[in-house]
Amino acid sequence: MWIYEKKLQHPVKIAKCDPAMAKIIITQLGGPDGELGASMRYLNQRYAMPNDKVKATLTDIGTEELAHMEMVASIVHQLTRNLSMSEIEKSGFAPYFVDHTVGIYPVDANGVPWTAATIQSTGDPIADLHEDMGAEQKARKTYDNILNLCDDPDVRDVIKFLREREIVHYQRFGESLEHILENLNSKNYYAFNPAFIPKK
Amino acid sequence: MSEQKTLLSRIATCDFILAETAMFLDTHPNCTEALGFYKKHLEMRKKAAEEYSEKFGMLRHEDYAGQTSWQWTEGPWPWEYEEV
Repeated sequence: MWIYEKKLQHPVKIAKCDPAMAKIIITQLGGPDGELGASMRYLNQRYAMPNDKVKATLTDIGTEELAHMEMVASIVHQLTRNLSMSEIEKSGFAPYFVDHTVGIYPVDANGVPWTAATIQSTGDPIADLHEDMGAEQKARKTYDNILNLCDDPDVRDVIKFLREREIVHYQRFGESLEHILENLNSKNYYAFNPAFIPKK
Repeated sequence: MSEQKTLLSRIATCDFILAETAMFLDTHPNCTEALGFYKKHLEMRKKAAEEYSEKFGMLRHEDYAGQTSWQWTEGPWPWEYEEV
């Protein structure tokens, strides 16, 4: 089960509003490589894992992703404070505004709602961990692109922190994959799904 | 029931009482009766959790108490079916 702690993992304090930037950054909440998808992917993949270390890793990273979701939402929230109607119209924020005002809703940068179709849980630990390593790289890529688009040091500080975490998670998933491969049954030479051996 | 299961069930009972009471307090923050009820079960929870982690290992990372290895990774995990 989960408990909530009333703090952010890394502080978010953004002085200057920027609805155009909010519209870009929200993709890390509800986009294809965002934190909501990361969390759902890892927490749902745990059940098929045959190995306790990997179960722990997915639990801990999946939990951290929930905290990252809150950080990305905090950035978007702070970037859309005290807006005038003309700022909303000029920044391209109006299409989001008309549906969600300045509430937080998980969409990508084009306004497409989050979908579980962007994640997988295959029931095969080898396939899942390869996906997880890919997912961390794809999230890192999105943070790189945000850093290329964003000059505000208050925003960049948080994005850089989140980017670093993707790299650490990638490392842990790589170790998890190695762990699974090292512990394959010696007869399983071709690395068939070690989590599902059909009953004879 | 094993001592471990008894303790775990006591913690789960306390946790449910705490969650339910906290939710009530969210909309009734000045209810002294509910505050007292929360405090009583919080103490029970702390005592049970302390005893559990001393005897059977970690329920959360912060239960680590200087053991020579990171027991967090040791099964069984809560979603697993256990025989008996």
